[in-house]
Amino acid sequence: MSYEMIALLMFSTMMVMMLTGQRVFGAIGFVAAVAALFLWGEGGVEMPFTAASKLMSWYPLLTLPLFVFMGYMLSESGIASDLYKMFHVWMGPLHGGLAIGTICLMVLISAMNGLSVAGMAIGATIALPEMLRRGYDKVMVTGVIQAGSSLGILVPPSVVLVLYGMIARQPVSDLWLAGAIPGLMLATMFVVYIVVRCRLQPELGPVLPKEERQMPLGEKIALLKAGILPLLIFVFMTGFFVAGVTSLVESSAVGATAAMLAALFRKRLTFKVLETTIRQTLGISCMFMWIILAALAFGAVFDGLGAVKAIESLFLEKWGLSPWEILILMQLSYIVMGMFLDDTAMLVIVAPLYIPLVISLGFNPIWYGVLYTITVQVAYMTPPFGYNLFLMKAMAPPEISLVDIYRSVIPFVLIMIFALVIVMSFPEIALWLPQYFKG
Amino acid sequence: QSTIKWRLQTYAGPALGEHVIKPAIDAFNKAANGEMVIELFYADQLVPTGELFRAMQKGTIDAVQSDDDSIAAPVDVSVFGGYFPFGTRYSLDVPVLFNQYGLNEIWEEAYDEVDGVKWLSAGAWDPCHFATKDPIRSLADLKGKRVFTFPTAGRFLSRFGVVPVTLPWEDIEVAMQTGELDGIAWSGITEDYTVGWADVTNYFLTNNISGAWCGSFFANEDRWNEVPEHLKTLFKLCMDSSHYYRQHWYWGGEAQLRTEGTKLELTTIPDEEWATVEAEAYKFWDEIAEQSDRSKRVVDILKKYAKTMEKAGKPYRYG
Amino acid sequence: MPNIIKSYVKGVDTLNRFTGLVTMHLIFVMIGLLLYSSISRTLFDTPINSVVTISQFLMSAYYLLGGGFSMQEDAHVRMDLFYSSWSKKGKARADAFTSIFLVFYLVILLYGAVSSTMYTIEVGQKTRTLIQYPLAPIKILMTLGVFLMLLQATATFFKDLAKARGVTL
Ligand code: NA
Ligand code: NA
Repeated sequence: MSYEMIALLMFSTMMVMMLTGQRVFGAIGFVAAVAALFLWGEGGVEMPFTAASKLMSWYPLLTLPLFVFMGYMLSESGIASDLYKMFHVWMGPLHGGLAIGTICLMVLISAMNGLSVAGMAIGATIALPEMLRRGYDKVMVTGVIQAGSSLGILVPPSVVLVLYGMIARQPVSDLWLAGAIPGLMLATMFVVYIVVRCRLQPELGPVLPKEERQMPLGEKIALLKAGILPLLIFVFMTGFFVAGVTSLVESSAVGATAAMLAALFRKRLTFKVLETTIRQTLGISCMFMWIILAALAFGAVFDGLGAVKAIESLFLEKWGLSPWEILILMQLSYIVMGMFLDDTAMLVIVAPLYIPLVISLGFNPIWYGVLYTITVQVAYMTPPFGYNLFLMKAMAPPEISLVDIYRSVIPFVLIMIFALVIVMSFPEIALWLPQYFKG
Repeated sequence: QSTIKWRLQTYAGPALGEHVIKPAIDAFNKAANGEMVIELFYADQLVPTGELFRAMQKGTIDAVQSDDDSIAAPVDVSVFGGYFPFGTRYSLDVPVLFNQYGLNEIWEEAYDEVDGVKWLSAGAWDPCHFATKDPIRSLADLKGKRVFTFPTAGRFLSRFGVVPVTLPWEDIEVAMQTGELDGIAWSGITEDYTVGWADVTNYFLTNNISGAWCGSFFANEDRWNEVPEHLKTLFKLCMDSSHYYRQHWYWGGEAQLRTEGTKLELTTIPDEEWATVEAEAYKFWDEIAEQSDRSKRVVDILKKYAKTMEKAGKPYRYG
Repeated sequence: MPNIIKSYVKGVDTLNRFTGLVTMHLIFVMIGLLLYSSISRTLFDTPINSVVTISQFLMSAYYLLGGGFSMQEDAHVRMDLFYSSWSKKGKARADAFTSIFLVFYLVILLYGAVSSTMYTIEVGQKTRTLIQYPLAPIKILMTLGVFLMLLQATATFFKDLAKARGVTL
């Protein structure tokens, strides 16, 4: 069988398997196991478990359960609802102010958390019902939550950039720093969009009734205290890591501890909260790590069968594309694959194919990590099939239909693509901060 | 007649592999003219390096290029693979020891006791130097330094207060930047520059604990036996060409980067002080010799070789 | 459904719930260990050598031993483009059928795990760190985790089969 045939066969089988609705790790693992058994030759049967040894040596992956733990702790600690109240009162007088406040809330949540799921859960449970109740347009606010939560993996800390760093063999500290400014830039663009849109159509984001935001200035200022804890957590976790005080994995343990202390400080750290948190953490971590286990086997079998070479020769020799054409084609292929593949699976399966190629074409791998992160977020938000869209449907109140969700992301996807073009044209936006820290 | 296909995985990453193995494999594939094709894979690409030996035994991987130490080969001589402290002084020592002093026969004998794997050929790599963040100018500077190094070298260096750290190879650059490591004792200066470590360290110690790293080619035994004689010969030539490339690439590279490299400042521990490290190494040899009869035979050979070189004088040994 | 299958499903569920409830506490061990290591290193300048190795062991034990329980809790994500619109019975039917693929994967995974563990025991494989920890205990735990996942997958298959036929186990 030719390399091209193997590549096509393995990918298409995996996509069909995905569509059956079987658990993602099972779908990927099955294709890996069958290909290893029937196409590899002698010893292929060992490949699926070999991935477990590989995963064991991926030490930075330990940040994953710790970040998940931290996310649950933070939502239990009530920090998020305090923050929301703060933005609610301060931003209320503006048209669309609650939506702007939600983006700000998402930036702070992102700065304390490495995944975007936590942001979406907090947004969907705390911010969304409040905004709907106050007559905000449901399509707009649904989009705000999804766009805002996408900042989770761009603003440091970021688990996706940890995974990217392991695959691309790049320092995670540089990647995290590189994501910070584009993340803030994206947040600013979202805010500008909301301001402009609500100026044109004030009915989309009505001003908060006076009685709701009338409180003495002293009380209003006291609300700002809610911002202290997130700041402390950010400094202890990301700050210490970037400054070289703690190692990456240690920093995630520091973050987890800080989140626990925050909950304790707010008298929310009950036995029940702890039990729920660690139970959920095990579930989510197992979900991610079993996908990574299966995807590592898939990737190694795919590679060992020569399918990687087929893709490389397709891009470089057969089509004779220029580096920039290849780069853009890759970004487009992510958007297509984002329809079928889960985010973790996409990173572990596709990134090892593309990253070495990107580096050999002379592009900066740190910069590409940022492009990659924005692109996959776009991919998960692009209708009709997108991972985030379904997650949002699962979390949103029933009055929000899938069609609402589809419509809601359109302006934000356009903004993100615009941001992508900006970062592509001006790499300094991503690279300035890591270079500044290196001195 | 169908093409014979092999998967060969090296312990080296892509940047290093570009020099130490790829030219030889490309030449082999060209010369084999479609009768046999070897596909080259880099460090941890298909199988993690620690599991490479067994993967080869099972036929998951057909051939391997690595030192015995890194792939945890289940033989007593694996302690001499990689950097055996003060085992060699120059890169030519390795082929001489194997071809003229009987190590070939000992390695064959050791690997014949293991099922499914054929040891093929050993060759020399680079010397083992320290690349560090802070300068090392005396033995006291080694104390408390967290250094990424090989298992055997680490056990030896811990006698001088070095804290050996084992991390996945690809995490080293990051670990240096995040302060998890103070230095690297894994290679010579050529590799420091080639793989990017010179960018994250400041100083290079000119004293080394071994003049040449010892690495080998291995193959799955059945796969090797299936290869026709003329292709076996061709593969042997290919291994020799890989050995030969490393001889001049490292030897020239070490001198050139010491004199023209701009990223690392050189420091030296005075010879008299460094002699205590060498003396300690000979004690270490005796401890290793007690582990098995075969280990003793290897140590005896190393001793005999060292004596011969000292007696021969310049240019084999100075002083 | 025959009684023997009912008790098998019940037994597997109980076993995995118990294992999962124990395993989920490992997160505290990981946090504690890493916190201890960072404090010891930054405040007392004493790096802890074995932290990386032991953390790697903990991580592997954590997600593999917790696997069966996580499946029981339905924590594993699906691409539910079509799946989400099917009826309960339709979902169960599809799951019962595609479980064959899941079980196939887990059987191959288990085969590799057993083969790898046997080798580790035979040659006394150890870590390549300064303190050479034997790899056998962790390999055995990992194999056990894969085995528990396989048990849970078969138990889930029976549950889906029952649901597809409109009965409950
Ligand atoms: Na984040
Ligand atoms: Na043999």
